[in-house]
Amino acid sequence: MSARLLSLHAVDKRYASVTALSGIELELGAGQGLAILGPNGAGKSTLLRIMAGLAHPTGGKVQFAEGAPQRSRVGYLGHATLLYPELTAHENLVFAGRLYGVEDPGARADQLLADEGLSGVANRRARGFSRGMAQRLSIARARVHAPELLLLDEPFTGLDEPSAQRLSLRLEGLADEGHALVLATHEIDRAARLAQTALVLVEGKVKRRVKAEEMSEPFLRTAYAEALEASP
Amino acid sequence: MNVALAILWKDLVSEWRSRDRVMAMLVFSILVAVVFYFALPMLRPEELSALAPGLLWTAYLFSALLGLNRSFALELENDALAGLALAPGNRGWIFLGKAAANWVLISIVQILTAGVFALFYGIDLVPALPGLATVVGLGTVGICAAGTLLAPMAVRTGFREVLLPVLLLPALFPILAGAVEGSGAAVAGRPIPFAALQLLLVTDGIYLIVAFLGFDYVLDE
Repeated sequence: MSARLLSLHAVDKRYASVTALSGIELELGAGQGLAILGPNGAGKSTLLRIMAGLAHPTGGKVQFAEGAPQRSRVGYLGHATLLYPELTAHENLVFAGRLYGVEDPGARADQLLADEGLSGVANRRARGFSRGMAQRLSIARARVHAPELLLLDEPFTGLDEPSAQRLSLRLEGLADEGHALVLATHEIDRAARLAQTALVLVEGKVKRRVKAEEMSEPFLRTAYAEALEASP
Repeated sequence: MNVALAILWKDLVSEWRSRDRVMAMLVFSILVAVVFYFALPMLRPEELSALAPGLLWTAYLFSALLGLNRSFALELENDALAGLALAPGNRGWIFLGKAAANWVLISIVQILTAGVFALFYGIDLVPALPGLATVVGLGTVGICAAGTLLAPMAVRTGFREVLLPVLLLPALFPILAGAVEGSGAAVAGRPIPFAALQLLLVTDGIYLIVAFLGFDYVLDE
């Protein structure tokens, strides 16, 4: 396994009397891909938000490998785009760059817009963007500070098939560039392509782990179905 | 500090392009002026002048509540608040940027509202301007400090329009006491009482420090 980047030990998250996560254990190596599968309400988004530093666990520990603080090492792409509709694409990235203390946010924004094929709409306000364009801009935003780990929460939601396909290829490219990816999704085929390992979360608990040597779409489908069947 | 300036810039550019917050606050303030104008038609000019600071602060307070709520409701669109919370470093700078933007936008509305009040009630505010500007500016710092701390909590609940006034108004009693007293003195051409200025300065200082340090917890889930 590559050098450890992130580990979670016995992580719990409770909201009043509701247990969102219970006893989560996981390790992620630098440059690795992990898929988190599970039905709606399984706790996938909560787990990602804890990894991002947006939420604190009520129990257990989240540990990053030594280095910069947690929030500066993570890029987060949630259900929503995190964009400001009245700012242009370029301004949104410059603003994000300034939040992260990027040295030349203007040049970084130009580079990211070119990477995502959005240079032609750099000066258009995000309000007018299609869901696919907004998602690409959102990925650029998540990468503005060159994070080691990208957390992707249902990134294909609301995209038509060509846009989802484009996004999938882009994420494969980012994985090839050495970004560690954690992907929460319902889409097993895409999870199998983007991640080397997977876990199935049901009602806040890890019900099944899929190792790198087992990882394939058919195996992942079976493991997911078995995990759901085994749950009450 | 860069983070605070970035947020100030972002909020002002967004507002310049949409103008929704300033317009909502301004329309509300003008409505207050119009309602009181027709409700108090028989008063003599000196009586109106004596009432003006209270009326002015009624308009200021409730329009500020509107603006503060809207300020963070906009951050919920596209979950942009999470984008701010993800930024590394001290989240106190995020508070300062948001509070400064709120102060600028609320101040613009206050200046225009003062003009409308002067016109409707026939009060010459020009001689009172330095004193009034000082008191209103200081009062607005306190409103923005406390409001920017409490608004993100309020907008994330199901009672967003109701909860902010419930949380904020009790915290604003000392600010309002100092601001109304100081404004009354300024409009009447008297020196502003030192006790009123002291109350405003001390409350502003406490709220700014508490909010700067506490904002980290406010943005956590």
